[in-house]
Amino acid sequence: MSAQGILMEPISDASTRTATGTKLISVVVPVVERADDLVAVYQAFARELDTRPEDYEFLFIFDGRFTPPPELLEVARKKDSVRLLRFARAFGETAALRLGIEKSRGDTIITLPAYFQVQPEGIRLLLEAAGTGADMVVASRSPRLDSWLNRLQSRAFHSIVAGVSDQRFHDMACGVRVMRRPVAEALPLYGDLHRFIPALALREGFRVEEVSVPQHPGDARTRVYRPGVYLRRVLDIAAFFFLAKFTEKPLRFFGLVGSVFLGVGAIMSVVLMVQRIEGQGIANRPALLLAVLFLALGVQLMGLGLVGEIIVHLRAPHRRAYRVRERA
Amino acid sequence: MVSAPLTVVHDSVPALSVVAPLYNEAQNVRPLIEWILQALQSYEGSYEIILVDDGSRDGTWGEVRAAAADPRVRGLRLGANVGQTAAMMAGFDHARGEVVVSLDGDLQNDPRDIPALVAKLDEGYDLVCGWRQRRQDKLLLRRVPSWLANRLIKRLTGVPITDNGCSLKAYRRDLLQRISLYAEQHRFIPALSASAGARITEMPVRHHARRFGESKYGISRTLKVLVDLITLKMITTFRSRPLLGFGIAAIPAMIISLVFAALWVVSLTQFGPEKASALVFPGAGLLAMGVAFYLFMLGLVAEVALNSERGNANDIPNAWEVR
Repeated sequence: MSAQGILMEPISDASTRTATGTKLISVVVPVVERADDLVAVYQAFARELDTRPEDYEFLFIFDGRFTPPPELLEVARKKDSVRLLRFARAFGETAALRLGIEKSRGDTIITLPAYFQVQPEGIRLLLEAAGTGADMVVASRSPRLDSWLNRLQSRAFHSIVAGVSDQRFHDMACGVRVMRRPVAEALPLYGDLHRFIPALALREGFRVEEVSVPQHPGDARTRVYRPGVYLRRVLDIAAFFFLAKFTEKPLRFFGLVGSVFLGVGAIMSVVLMVQRIEGQGIANRPALLLAVLFLALGVQLMGLGLVGEIIVHLRAPHRRAYRVRERA
Repeated sequence: MVSAPLTVVHDSVPALSVVAPLYNEAQNVRPLIEWILQALQSYEGSYEIILVDDGSRDGTWGEVRAAAADPRVRGLRLGANVGQTAAMMAGFDHARGEVVVSLDGDLQNDPRDIPALVAKLDEGYDLVCGWRQRRQDKLLLRRVPSWLANRLIKRLTGVPITDNGCSLKAYRRDLLQRISLYAEQHRFIPALSASAGARITEMPVRHHARRFGESKYGISRTLKVLVDLITLKMITTFRSRPLLGFGIAAIPAMIISLVFAALWVVSLTQFGPEKASALVFPGAGLLAMGVAFYLFMLGLVAEVALNSERGNANDIPNAWEVR
């Protein structure tokens, strides 16, 4: 990801227009983890989009164990604007979003969960907000209908992310987002980074807005996950934190941790040496082993940081940390 | 993700580009422009001024837009605050002149020095660094750390520049295409340029106290600069042969492990093998040897990274024709 976006021209309004001359909205629906009746989802949101002047297309991306239901296949057969894509095995939501962005043709891209997370009319609120100049508009489910446990988990997550982000987001877990095509294409999406899409866009120098959208009652059940899921979340956050702060300067991180080890190791060694000179034996003291272990860890961390720095340096000619928003 | 720096082709390409990054400097924009225009009246070539608004939160961009009514002035507004180095890179990437001059947007550098810097560049240099005379900054917070850092940089890299932190510098475009600055490397421009084969000199320039706004620097960066210096040493000295760098770093670890081995032999012969205490020495020795081995392996990883990026423009040092 980047503190190093792409060297990019200001976002232009030059857009791919459909044959009739109207703009095209692409709705990308990753079918991962959980799915409601997809035909119902499609119909509910399509009805809202019908009220807009733009044309639209729907892309459903089926991950691993999900197969397209026959009713949806029927719809896709009848309408060119509904396309179904299927992964051969489970690649996860980030990969599904990337594929959807790549295969879509619209100049505006909407991402939508495969279940009712927000009320369908929310999509209009987002599109209206996007019309006023934001590069990305994300939905924030509000008022929330679900239990305090869900809300507590969400609060904890967002507080941590807010620590490394310039703007505080309230609902990054909401999969309903509207973005312009250049934004979608610039997002550094890999691994499980889809959870951080608004924060990533912000880091890339785009303007991100949050719009309150009523939550769907079906989304309100309490979610308690297996411990493994929480462990993965913590790792996600750690990865994001590291990427946000140290991608351009890995040695600042490894050097800091390494120098703590080196410092503790050095102090222990000095103390042991003084004791040895005073006549105490140190050969039978495990403290000597520990001191050497700390020194060794410190050196290893420094070394890792330096390799990181070499890699960053080698990539530097291809990469820019800034994005030009406007020229005069 | 990857795209090469872009060059904009226009009808009239100026000979000189002046680049000034701005962060929350609304009050300084107009005086700065007037001052630069005035200073360049004596300059006979064509020129452009590029103002880079680094995601300011005050009215800087409005001022830049107003200033850009003059055809010689161009403005760039960045999407987010990315810091001085990246903002300067934005200006450099959009500069069209054969000669590029950078200066601070806070009126502390004196644009009247620009013609002299450019003249010096024409004597056959790729980089001319300003050297602030009678610096107008706080002694303890700014000048002492800066003096120490400069001494350290000179010592570590061997590049004889007295004032690395002065933003007022003149570059040949050719050089800028060879160095890619990121993170907070604007301080190390002379050292990085030297490692790219540039001919470097310095000359005294004037320095003024801040008139409007606040300094964006503080003492907290000292530790960061120290860490960055390790990086600088690594990439300027061992960029094309990382295994050598890591190999040299492995030597002390190797020596330590040999010392422990010797201690072990001594304690074994002196006290006999039945004393369990003798286990600590071989343990520590093996750890040290592990470190040496590990550093060597890291060097190999760095070589792999280097190999996959060969053909990188940074690898070829600059040279000039001798007549």
